[in-house]
Amino acid sequence: MIQIECPFCGKRDQSEFSYGRESQITFPALNADENSWYDAVFLRKNTYGRQIETWQHTHGCRSWLLVERDTVTHKIFSVKLAHTDWQKQIKKTT
Amino acid sequence: MNPLRKKNQSRTDNVEENVIFFFWNNKKYFANKGDSIAAGLLANNQYVIGRSFKYHRPRGIMSAGVEEAGALVTIGNGAYTEANVRATTTELTQGLSVYSQNAWPSVKFDIGSILNVLGRFFAAGFYYKMFMGIPPFEWGRGTKIWMFFEYFIRKAAGLGQSSRLPDPDCYEHMHTHTDVLVIGTGPAGLQAAISATEEGKDVLIVEQDYAIGGSYLSQPDTVELETQIEVLKKLRVTILTRTTAFGLYDDKTVGLVQVMPAKEYKTSSKKPRQQFNICRAEKIILATGAIERSYAFINNDLPGIMSVSAARTYLNRYNLLLSKNIVISTNNDSAYETAIELENAGATITILDAREQIGNKLLRQIAGSRINLHLGSGVVKAEKGLNTSSIGKIKLVEFANNKWRYAGNLSCDCLLISAGWSPVIHLASHQGYPINWNEENACFLSSGDNKSIFLIGSARGIWTKAGCIQSAKEIFQYNSRKKHKPSTVIGGWETPLAPLYEICLHNIKGKAFVDPQHDVTSSDIRLAYQEGFISVEHMKRYTTLGMATDQGKMGNIIGLALMAEALNCSISEVGVTRFRPPYTSISLGALAGRNRQSHFKPIRRTPFNNFSIQNKGVMINAGLWQRPWYYPMESESLEAAYIREATVTRRSLGICDVSSLGKIIIQGPDSTEFINRVYTNPFSKLPVGKARYGIMLRDDGLVFDDGTTWRLSENCYLMTTTTDNASSVMARLEELLQVRWPDLSVQVTSVTEQWGGCALAGPNSRNLLTKIIDDPSEISNESLPFMGIKQVLMQNVPCYVARISFSGELAYEIYIPSDYAQSMMEFIWENGQKFECCLYGLEALGTMRIEKGHLTNSEIDGRVTIQDIGLSKMASSNKDYIGKVLKNREKLTDSDRPQLVGIFPKDKNKTFKAGALLNEAGYLNGHPLGWVTSVTYSPALGHWIALGFITGGLAYVKDKNIVLSDELRSNFLDVEIVSPQMYDPEGLRLHG
Ligand SMILES: [Zn+2]
Repeated sequence: MIQIECPFCGKRDQSEFSYGRESQITFPALNADENSWYDAVFLRKNTYGRQIETWQHTHGCRSWLLVERDTVTHKIFSVKLAHTDWQKQIKKTT
Repeated sequence: MNPLRKKNQSRTDNVEENVIFFFWNNKKYFANKGDSIAAGLLANNQYVIGRSFKYHRPRGIMSAGVEEAGALVTIGNGAYTEANVRATTTELTQGLSVYSQNAWPSVKFDIGSILNVLGRFFAAGFYYKMFMGIPPFEWGRGTKIWMFFEYFIRKAAGLGQSSRLPDPDCYEHMHTHTDVLVIGTGPAGLQAAISATEEGKDVLIVEQDYAIGGSYLSQPDTVELETQIEVLKKLRVTILTRTTAFGLYDDKTVGLVQVMPAKEYKTSSKKPRQQFNICRAEKIILATGAIERSYAFINNDLPGIMSVSAARTYLNRYNLLLSKNIVISTNNDSAYETAIELENAGATITILDAREQIGNKLLRQIAGSRINLHLGSGVVKAEKGLNTSSIGKIKLVEFANNKWRYAGNLSCDCLLISAGWSPVIHLASHQGYPINWNEENACFLSSGDNKSIFLIGSARGIWTKAGCIQSAKEIFQYNSRKKHKPSTVIGGWETPLAPLYEICLHNIKGKAFVDPQHDVTSSDIRLAYQEGFISVEHMKRYTTLGMATDQGKMGNIIGLALMAEALNCSISEVGVTRFRPPYTSISLGALAGRNRQSHFKPIRRTPFNNFSIQNKGVMINAGLWQRPWYYPMESESLEAAYIREATVTRRSLGICDVSSLGKIIIQGPDSTEFINRVYTNPFSKLPVGKARYGIMLRDDGLVFDDGTTWRLSENCYLMTTTTDNASSVMARLEELLQVRWPDLSVQVTSVTEQWGGCALAGPNSRNLLTKIIDDPSEISNESLPFMGIKQVLMQNVPCYVARISFSGELAYEIYIPSDYAQSMMEFIWENGQKFECCLYGLEALGTMRIEKGHLTNSEIDGRVTIQDIGLSKMASSNKDYIGKVLKNREKLTDSDRPQLVGIFPKDKNKTFKAGALLNEAGYLNGHPLGWVTSVTYSPALGHWIALGFITGGLAYVKDKNIVLSDELRSNFLDVEIVSPQMYDPEGLRLHG
């Protein structure tokens, strides 16, 4: 029953969001070798504690977010837009 | 026991308007307004309430609160029946029907009590052992003997019976946000609410009882309580009674359920029966009180044995003196106050205190009374009275030379027990806050996190009222940035209690109950120890201790203590099981709220929905969508209808609602590049005004979705997706653009609901189109070739027409703005009458696509590669796209992977179903060669056909005899494996 502070919509119930994946995964180039694609698709850190992960505000503004969350306590430390340019724009306007 | 209603008391005067009637097992009785069911029954001398779970022993009222393990009743009639209601916490209302449960033929004489005599068979682990068979030959090992006993056990065990009728009540959900949530309205809770409000906080205070006051209600006078309530009213604090905080969840969320009194829902009122309230608070204060414990001695479950605090509640809150002659067995100071009050009310009191010494203050308090005090004393056995099922006599013990020894008998028709108090730390435990055993006060304590979750009052282990109130004030007297360090001292009795969990003597035998609701005895705990189930979690499951509806509120600690004794260690070393929500049982109706039946899931209707229903369309659920399934003429069956619809469509013309397909607008300078990365086939050379079929893979190389994408202009596309995957494709594209490729300048927008899609299929489709669009020259074969798209005017409304075919016929899809969809469809249908024309539904659509070997989610089920579905030529080698690398993994490129094929029965009269397996003749056992995914009768071919997957595909099985086997329906037939394009493989009909 956590709440996530969406940069656009404010503090919203977790039921409006869907979990994406661990954000530390970097997807290789589309023509990269099989091993690097294998790592990106199948290997997970499965962090015990603080990690940054992606969530989408599915039933809201539909932004993809970077959420820093403790996987044990569910405490959320920070939320920002995943799209780097949008991040900058939102900073300029505020 | 002979409970008496005291006269001339101010709280519930016996004046007529305060008297209500109710029915107990269909007999009419009278009680006072404000009585609980238990109080009403006691006032009428009804104290054998039910029979116990396993041994069917008579059970009475053991408490006055939520910990009640004996007095469970059924209330209401018919559909309003509610089983397993605690008599001690449910308010009696005018005319309420109350029934005893788990007793046949009556509570006084019960057939099942024969099980009591056979008790040794029903000790802990009985069920498990029965599976292992009866020694010495393990007779009946396995299920046979279990089945034999089960018949009798099922008849006898269990609690109340619920109604099998649909629940006629309505339930509500709501969300509450508040600064401070206080749980409990005793001295600590009320003070906390007042202090928080005075600090300027927004406060909500909840109480599970139907009256405000907690332990205040059990005091002889209510002056203090009334003063505090006045203050709260002045401060305008919201107070919710009948509201249980049943669970504490992440992020300071509390689940509350408010239960309306019975009289509300007996009427035809549409008011909700219960309200499920999700409350979020900045601070949560648990003033949840403490529960008085009993201890194990033989027959400690007899009616007439109750907790000391319960007797105090019945005396002061309900004006009921339980008996003229009361024995109190205790090990702590808390019982003395009640003893004095009971004596003042006219009872003769004997106190058996397990301690050998008590403090001077306590001695002075009782000095002036006629209370008989026995120090170093307790009860080893209770016995039934003559001609009654309740207590009549007790066997006493005294403590000498460090052990108990028998000290004679005492006649007694009401025995009150206080063996210490267990703070209600359940909610703190739900969130995993540490729980520690406090040796001095013999209880588990928790202190929350002292930042946002606080425990105060007796829930913190503070036994004095002044201490409880002080602990509430303290929370708001510190700088909120610092961590709270409570100063109030835990405990507060003059003399510490003497730990007391069981009294037994080896020469006095019988059942001593630890968990009276589940009939778990002290010897069951010892048996668990003997058989090695020594961890708390094992002991709990082996004996079922604490697994009944009361969740072991009274018995758990006794069980732990007995296990600690057997293991020769301390209780803290045995540990405690983590409490799980709900604190008290809550109804499923409250959790479901209004999300029932048709409101269980949202319903999506296409813009043509009304048109379909007006034209007798039978609708079917497709995900959340309601889609037309078939359009029966007169009394036509589904089979007759879809065969007619497919036949008419192939012969002349059919019209179908395809609005539920996902529609996504993709715009921006990089949109072509984006689509190229998403689809396996190239899109860069797709000209404006044309559509192309595309396949999308997942990162792992398996097929994700398929659909057509239309190039509307240089930098604008319309992508269509399957109905099932519409939302996941959309989320996927958004993820790619926002997270993975933020450098691409592309916007995606879902327009699924903006357009109604209608397919016109069949040789006459162009002829119809010519009649309905404003400029027919735009859709000639030359200006709109196969896979061409065009914006046209229809009745002056801009629509899109695409020459796309899912049926294999000459066909068009018209996309109409949703607002015009209904009238436009009527217009199309009217013009369609100039030809042989029908409406066709999902079933006929499926038939025609199977005939053509087109795919749906039955085939693209998340496990197939692009080669498996025979589309490897759509995987471009000249560009990079998602899934390109991993689709080439070794096992995904094996030539013996199951591949898409068509299936014909050799005997053309035979039918079969999807899900059947495909085997080589003579090898019906073991791993099959393949399976059937979609089946239909083909009107075009005149027999049943199917799509399916088979190892190695058509090439591998070409010369083999293949048998289709459906073991469940005993259907076995020889089949012919053919190409999946079963009808018009050259695609001649497409071009009209
Ligand atoms: Zn948002």
